[in-house]
Amino acid sequence: MAKRILSMIINSQAVGPVEVPDDLMMIDFLHEHLNLTGSRLGCGQGVCHACVAILDKADGTSEEVRTCITGVHFFDGKRVRTIEGHAKRDAQGEVSELNPIQQKFVDKFAFQCSYCTPGYVNAATVLVEKLQRQPVKRSELEGEIEDALGKHICRCTGYVRYYSAARDVVESLGLVKEG
Amino acid sequence: MRAFVLAALLPLTAFAADEQLIERGKYLARAADCVACHSIEGGAEYAGGLPLESPFGTIYGTNITPDKEHGIGNYSADDFYRAVAEGERRDGSNLYPAMPYTSYHLLKREDSDAIYAYLMSLEPIAKPSPQTDLSFPFNLRFGLSFWNMLYKDSVQLQPAEGKSEPWQRGQYLVEVLGHCGECHTPRNVLGALQQDERLQGAVILGYEAPSLLADDLAARGWNPEDLATFLKYGISAQGSMFNEMYPVFHHSTQYLPFDDHQAMSTYLLGDQPPEPRKVASVALDQLGASAQQGRQHYLNTCAGCHGAAGEGIPHVAVAMEGNTTLRLNDARNLLRVIDDGIKEQQFTGFERMQPMPGFSDKLDDGQVRDLLHYLRQTWGGQAAELSPQQVSQLRSEKGH
Amino acid sequence: MSTPELSRRAFLQGSVIAGIGISFAPLGSKAFAALFEDKVTAMPQPWYDASGKAVARIDGVSKACGAKVFARDIRAKDMPGWPQQQGHALLLKATRTEQLYQGFDLSLLSAELQPDRVVTASDLAKDGIAFPDGHHLDPLLPEGQVPMFIGHPVALLIWKDFERYRQAKNILKFNDKVIRYGATAPAFQSDPYGSFRFVRVGGTTPFDRDTFSSLKDSMLFPLIHNRKPAWGEGKVSGDLTEQGLYHAEQMQQQLQSPPDDWLVFDERFKTQSIEPCALEADNGNGWFDAATGTLHFVVATQCPFEVAEQTAHMLAPSRFGVQKLNMHPGYTVGYGSKDNNIFVFYAALAAIYGGGMPVRLANDRYEQFQSGIKRHPFDMHYQLAVNKQDHSFQIFRAHMDVDGGGRANYSSSVAAVGATAAQSIYYLPRSDLAATAYYSRGVEAGSMRGYGTLQTMAATEMMVDEVAERLSIDAIELRKKNVFQSGMKNTQGAIPAGALRLDEILDKAAQHEIWKNRVARKQRFDAEDPDNLYGVGFAICQKDFGTGSEAPMASLEFTADGRVSLRHIAIDMGTGMATSQALLVADYLGQPADEIKTGETEWAELALTTSGNPYIISQAEQDAALRNPRWVGKLASPSSATNSSYYSGHATREAARVLFIHGLWPAAMAIWSRGLHGGLANPYVVRRENAHWIDGKLTADGMPPISFKQLAHKAHELGLVTGVSVHGFNRWSWAEGDFEINGQRERVPLDALAVKYGDGAEAAKKAQMSRNGFHLLDRVSINYPVTQLNNAMVTYYSPVATLVEIKVNKGSGEARVINHHSWLECGRVIVEELVLGQLEGGIAMGIGHALLEDMPLYEGGPGDGTWNFNRYQLPRAKDCAVWTQTAEILPPLSPSDPAKGIAEVVMIPVVGAIVNAVAHATGKRLRDLPLTPARIKEALHG
Repeated sequence: MAKRILSMIINSQAVGPVEVPDDLMMIDFLHEHLNLTGSRLGCGQGVCHACVAILDKADGTSEEVRTCITGVHFFDGKRVRTIEGHAKRDAQGEVSELNPIQQKFVDKFAFQCSYCTPGYVNAATVLVEKLQRQPVKRSELEGEIEDALGKHICRCTGYVRYYSAARDVVESLGLVKEG
Repeated sequence: MRAFVLAALLPLTAFAADEQLIERGKYLARAADCVACHSIEGGAEYAGGLPLESPFGTIYGTNITPDKEHGIGNYSADDFYRAVAEGERRDGSNLYPAMPYTSYHLLKREDSDAIYAYLMSLEPIAKPSPQTDLSFPFNLRFGLSFWNMLYKDSVQLQPAEGKSEPWQRGQYLVEVLGHCGECHTPRNVLGALQQDERLQGAVILGYEAPSLLADDLAARGWNPEDLATFLKYGISAQGSMFNEMYPVFHHSTQYLPFDDHQAMSTYLLGDQPPEPRKVASVALDQLGASAQQGRQHYLNTCAGCHGAAGEGIPHVAVAMEGNTTLRLNDARNLLRVIDDGIKEQQFTGFERMQPMPGFSDKLDDGQVRDLLHYLRQTWGGQAAELSPQQVSQLRSEKGH
Repeated sequence: MSTPELSRRAFLQGSVIAGIGISFAPLGSKAFAALFEDKVTAMPQPWYDASGKAVARIDGVSKACGAKVFARDIRAKDMPGWPQQQGHALLLKATRTEQLYQGFDLSLLSAELQPDRVVTASDLAKDGIAFPDGHHLDPLLPEGQVPMFIGHPVALLIWKDFERYRQAKNILKFNDKVIRYGATAPAFQSDPYGSFRFVRVGGTTPFDRDTFSSLKDSMLFPLIHNRKPAWGEGKVSGDLTEQGLYHAEQMQQQLQSPPDDWLVFDERFKTQSIEPCALEADNGNGWFDAATGTLHFVVATQCPFEVAEQTAHMLAPSRFGVQKLNMHPGYTVGYGSKDNNIFVFYAALAAIYGGGMPVRLANDRYEQFQSGIKRHPFDMHYQLAVNKQDHSFQIFRAHMDVDGGGRANYSSSVAAVGATAAQSIYYLPRSDLAATAYYSRGVEAGSMRGYGTLQTMAATEMMVDEVAERLSIDAIELRKKNVFQSGMKNTQGAIPAGALRLDEILDKAAQHEIWKNRVARKQRFDAEDPDNLYGVGFAICQKDFGTGSEAPMASLEFTADGRVSLRHIAIDMGTGMATSQALLVADYLGQPADEIKTGETEWAELALTTSGNPYIISQAEQDAALRNPRWVGKLASPSSATNSSYYSGHATREAARVLFIHGLWPAAMAIWSRGLHGGLANPYVVRRENAHWIDGKLTADGMPPISFKQLAHKAHELGLVTGVSVHGFNRWSWAEGDFEINGQRERVPLDALAVKYGDGAEAAKKAQMSRNGFHLLDRVSINYPVTQLNNAMVTYYSPVATLVEIKVNKGSGEARVINHHSWLECGRVIVEELVLGQLEGGIAMGIGHALLEDMPLYEGGPGDGTWNFNRYQLPRAKDCAVWTQTAEILPPLSPSDPAKGIAEVVMIPVVGAIVNAVAHATGKRLRDLPLTPARIKEALHG
């Protein structure tokens, strides 16, 4: 198999230039090359969305991308955020502050085993960033959350607390408008 | 006088519960795929509501359950036959040829009666269908009388001498009941089928319904067995049904007996089917420069499901190797499916494919062009390149 | 006679099993943290508030950050002291059970991609590897045999680096040319894994002595003839089995020729093959350091203790010279699939054969479907005789066949538990329940949430609903007339524990607006929405928690400056037990534990030993064994069977109680009695039973409140008991032992106890702390639950009821849940969010079971290695009424209610309710799960 060189920015840190097989999936790069194991392998086939990372696009928008079915070289020259990058950490690397979504998930007991939690955090982060650009009408809030989170599979929680926590975060951040 | 009245009443009463007739009608309704246009997703079967986009506006499929107010509860078997085969409603007005009476006009009377018996046996659903209201002048239904004079009988059966029984049955299934020509035959500017190019392919809502001529099918890798399998299961070695063909499988062909699929296949490929064309995959270093660039886009966005070597994943993603869409002369469908993706599809039994994502916002025109070249040259036997203008033109002709 | 459980011979003195020393450093533990930085449960923010209520999970922050919480997250470079290079392994599997296996062909791989090590059956034999009992039949299939089941592993392939492993796997995956098959040969066969029959004829009233029952008399076991159960003839005065069969025959005759005023319901219910789909697939990562003979093993499991013990036994006789096993269990998730799972042994072998390199064996989802533990179909013949006048149930006869898949695992036990749960919430005057678990060539089946009761109780609720319809009586009214009340006997003749509050729940359900108005609502909704049919359904179940052989262990201690740490044998697989157990400590210490280590299996201080199988040991054997003060009926429970709140909680609370009575209370009395004539305590009567923790401070009978920290300091100063390790045993009641604790004799519901004394203790006392820093106490006397109690099969119950609204689409036949409301009674709630979370998640799983989840049993099913979530349909949020669902937890009878387990029962009523709702919606009774659109459509349209 051939190798190619790539560089990217992950969690605001430069990665590469590094030579990587041309057919390596992003999840394997994260796990086996960078030891960032938080983007989890659930199905490895693009169905469960446990593996999603956030792609920060040139136009300032963000979206979730399934790392299990997207090649690592797709991200060459791009900016990516994984679950490991959300919380603020102190000089010793200990967590000093969670992002609002993570904090809400903790406060609301949103997860149980947490295998799927990184995917949900990323999906909810993308949603919040979208709504920060364009707030949502109250009557459309649940629909927005369903669109953002609906493809993510969770086997433990029955989804209830993930969804209500997401709604709480959106409301508490003032991203809901009249209507 | 009384005899006349009785005779007039007879068509209505003669169809009281005949189980066999209803069974046959159920089968024929499947083969004719009435439900595809006369139901909406999430709606009761035959209760109408489906919007059909035409160049003339939106036409709605009607409620054909036996509800007296909203459906065909007041129709006699004669009324029904006139509607289906002639395009004439009970009140005498014309149906728009979105109702494919141009194909159904060859429907045998007894088959129409069977379908009628089946529909009348269903539970009446009190659901009003939206009124079709095209803009002027297309809202003038009487104008269709003129159109009908020209085009109503345009679909004709080919001569049957020397043809096998399956071929003849297949013709009826394809040309009449299945009305495949309604999509696979090009239309003129008045929306009429161009019968001199019958089954030679047409573009509908951005996607090509490809040619079904025997030589063209064989060039795309079809043999009779696989084509029959494709019709029965929606999936074969050549790929899976998607876009407008999927509902054909979902509502219609999956319910037919396998010898019907074999008959249809025999009709399309002929009693002496041409040899299917073999296309050997071409090595990377033999490809053009653009296609070689396309390889990396393939690995980045496709290989996760379709395999680095185009081998696909059983029950999950079709192989590129042997895929019929890659072999189409026109790159339209391949581009459309890359851009639009495919919705989740339930096939037979446990077969189910997850959605294919659309990449319209992930690949720019140049990248898509490279990818098309890679796919078509590696596996499709299509060496010719597209110009950048062709690609951006195709991209802008979005499907629905 | 079948033997449903594994037999154990193990010695834990000095943590040595079969000559192999074992130590444990769970991934989240401080011991592990001492190795390097990460801590799973050291929270940077407080997880409980001033009133002691949990405001977050103790593991919440780590989990929200995607930290390395799971064994699956670990790579060699994460483990201090391990070589940095990570190897990877996979198992090749044979899928055709009609042909002889003739080896495998790796010529598809280039020379570069060939594996660095291949392990086959002949290697295991040559190297003296002895898979543990219960997993020992051809773990790797030898050449020249037919596979026992679809997906039978044939070889372990190991690569030294990820890249070559990845490329090789891509080529080998889905490739049917890799395995070589020879001639067609007779399929593998086996006797059934287990067959059981439970017959009961009650007395005149439910409270009178039974005429015959499993508990009072005997369970019945058949002979096996031609691989099927063969029951003999009944004889009214024969041996116990013959008597039981006589009563069963009587019942059968009455069902065949019932009196005129009886209605006899006689139908068949079937369930489907299901897969737990824990998102963390089976995995292990190990390094064998041959120089020191140490196997370091990171592994995902619900039963770390069992895994350690059995791995040690597997390796001890081998040529590898394994001296020590360092286990690192991770936080995990399983729903049963990681309990008693052969996978862990393949993972341990991958390490052993790694040639000094760490090797990771981790299933992808295709592999998990192929080999992960399943639950296969139940085929149930139910007959219920009901008196048409007063609607009382007379006879319930339920005979069921259970497909047990290709290895025995727990299927036999699942069959028995399923049968004995079938009665659900009803009192049955007479019953005949029989279940057989059969071998089949399906994928291995074992424990999965519900454990057979999901299958049987859902069917019972469908049955009762249909009977109500046939009798033209309200379905909740019929249930009320037959409800199980406190003190009545179950189908085995045992009296369930405590208060049964089923009638309270039925009363609430009957009053619910949706139930009361369901007819009018249906008329209205059907008219407004002609595309759909509306329906309402109800079901109620009670399920046991615990297995009848529970052995929790906990260790609790505090430092002189008041830091409380808890070690616990249980694993947190999402249940939140780490949080709830830490919180329970506050019952007696006034504050939760500051840190908790779960999956702890280093219990050298208790020096436990066991022998025999607690389910089949004779009373005489047990009595003899108990003479050894170190002997216990079972060493350790896995985390399963809904056992965390009640059983794990029992150990935690009893440990805390010992510390209170023998450490904190005497310290408090010492403080209050300070000074002349007994100090400020003397004038009042101060009793320990009047002690209360108020705002984290201890007071009693008007004494000035003292903080825990002060008490801890005092207890240490006085050399009182400041640490304790406990072990308990429960066979439907607790073993009780008398112990002399720091000079005071006491009877406690524990069978092993070791204590630590405070820093200020005298030298002589400290010298007694010779076992791992603990003073191991001998039982002065011991009272064990009698072995006959094994026949009770279940006595602890928690009930849940669910009311569901659905719509059935006339076009597609799809049934959709639009809303649901549930009632749950679990005694004391430790953390409400954790309880409700189990209910919400369990209902989702139940919706999947009722409507979506299904696979072929054999060919075309997951054993061929091609299944994933595209074909196995899991419920999504849109399927669960995620925004609108509601639930209520009944308040406890009093603050002293036990904390009852609910993690499985929550999944069950919704299944029956949905099927009943479909019947209400369509007028059709379906009895085969799942209710797919195709099945509903067929029922609608004929």
